[in-house]
Amino acid sequence: MSRPDLNKGPKASRPASITSRERAADIAVSIIALAIGLVLIFPIIYCIFGAFKTPAEFMTPKLLPGSFANLDNFREALQKADLLRYMGNSFIVSFFGTTIRLLFAVFAAYAFVYYEFPLKRFWFFFILGTMMLPGDILLTTNYITVSRLHLLNSYLGMMIVSFVGASQMFMLRQRFLSVPKELKEAAELDGYGDLGFIFRVLLPVCRPVLVTLFVQGFITLWNSYLWPLLVTASAPEMRTIMVGITKLNSWEDENYWLVLAGVCISLIPSFVLFVIMRRSLRKNGLEGALVG
Amino acid sequence: MKKRNLKPLLFLLPILIFSIAFVYYPFARVIVNSFSLVNAKGQLKGFAGLENYRYVFSRGDFAVALGNSLKLAAVNVPVTLFITIFLALLAEKKRRLSPVYETLFALPMSVSMSAACMIFKSMFSPALGWVNYFFGLSLGWFESRETALASCLILTIWMGIGFDFLLFLSALRGIPDQLLEASELDGAGLFTRIFRIKLPLISPTILYVLCTNFVLALLTSAPMIIITQGGPARSTTTLMYMMYASGFGSSDYSLAAVVALCAFVLSLGFTILSFVFERKRVHYQ
Repeated sequence: MSRPDLNKGPKASRPASITSRERAADIAVSIIALAIGLVLIFPIIYCIFGAFKTPAEFMTPKLLPGSFANLDNFREALQKADLLRYMGNSFIVSFFGTTIRLLFAVFAAYAFVYYEFPLKRFWFFFILGTMMLPGDILLTTNYITVSRLHLLNSYLGMMIVSFVGASQMFMLRQRFLSVPKELKEAAELDGYGDLGFIFRVLLPVCRPVLVTLFVQGFITLWNSYLWPLLVTASAPEMRTIMVGITKLNSWEDENYWLVLAGVCISLIPSFVLFVIMRRSLRKNGLEGALVG
Repeated sequence: MKKRNLKPLLFLLPILIFSIAFVYYPFARVIVNSFSLVNAKGQLKGFAGLENYRYVFSRGDFAVALGNSLKLAAVNVPVTLFITIFLALLAEKKRRLSPVYETLFALPMSVSMSAACMIFKSMFSPALGWVNYFFGLSLGWFESRETALASCLILTIWMGIGFDFLLFLSALRGIPDQLLEASELDGAGLFTRIFRIKLPLISPTILYVLCTNFVLALLTSAPMIIITQGGPARSTTTLMYMMYASGFGSSDYSLAAVVALCAFVLSLGFTILSFVFERKRVHYQ
């Protein structure tokens, strides 16, 4: 690559002074970047193409399917496993799990910003401390807890371990701190209580951040695999889509055309969410502050 | 006065209850389990002292799992850093096609772990996979002992590219223009600018990504659960896979607890450091 980064920065819009050399470099870098980008997303392209291939076409080295009108794989995948039901399960778990998590985070952030109380710093770090403990190492004991609560194979059991959103709490607190305190006083004069203030005044003001956090949380839950797999082990109809697609084949039964069709179906919502997330991050100038 | 003190705690209560029930309690329980006899229902059946630890450390598969996890981390971290920093430098300047290739670079992050596993399992299938066809190879990939771990590595590296690329991109674009203009006037060349100015300035982001990736790689388990079942011949058994297999396969909760704690201790330092760098990273921007 030749001198691609001479005038960096989003505001480098000086079209009048762009030299032909710079323009040539820009074009060269763009072509290289596009080529690398296509290699990077090759697995996704492969998946989409593969989903339209007939079993016979799968036995040949050809990359492209004979026809993109061949929907047999999708039809068969939907028959073989109840993928639509799994999508519904995923949606329920992701939607309610994220909503509850965000609600708890909003309440906690509200208390930290608008109230003084004993041990405030301690509780703050107590909640942030949950981020130090990777969820993976807690799997076995959480599984036993959830089974004791008789929540195996239930939606609540699938989402209950995600209700603690420490990083969400942290980001909401930062945002709430920048809301003028006069708003709270004015709301009190208007007779709003705490909940009235939160839902009628505070959250509407902070809507962009809420949207970003919601989409992020939704994606995380939508994509999660291990916990739903464990919790729904004995009830196939409760599986999420991400668990469901892994059950479409086995080593003995190499029906990859069906698997790839199932994966394609599962990826549609992921891509939509990805686009929404990128847009909302950019709108909020939050791109640098991504949190998991 | 008393009422004022109670109200905020009421707002804190939900998150506190769930923090304790599903994070702190299970963590304490993992520690307790690792020193105890635990039956298949997860009930404590007596104190075992260090016996569980002695048992785990003497098992051959523990050393294998530890080695595999460390190998994954040792390769994944530098390779991911190299690829994502290179991509970010390439994409840094805004050009007409920027939105297109930025999206291409970031797109892998939208694919879920299990979807990626199924795609790679198909692509790398020895008999039907496209990779063997295209490169004229006859490798077993996930199915052979020599290549299974490497195949898992390729998969996990691919999964991590999108997110880290976006972090580096925004860090590079956050460098104040004056600094770069000054260096330009000083006649600094492309490589001097990259290695002497840009990379040092985004070093908090680099260290942050290094630490979080180390932890993620060390705790890898999904490809093993979905594709390889830790095999062939334990070649892809990692610490987290061993925990999963001993906890849910054979209901040996004390063994699972010891393995989980080992992984936790190994990752703790990097987790703490990642918080330190995260804070710096945000300040720089």
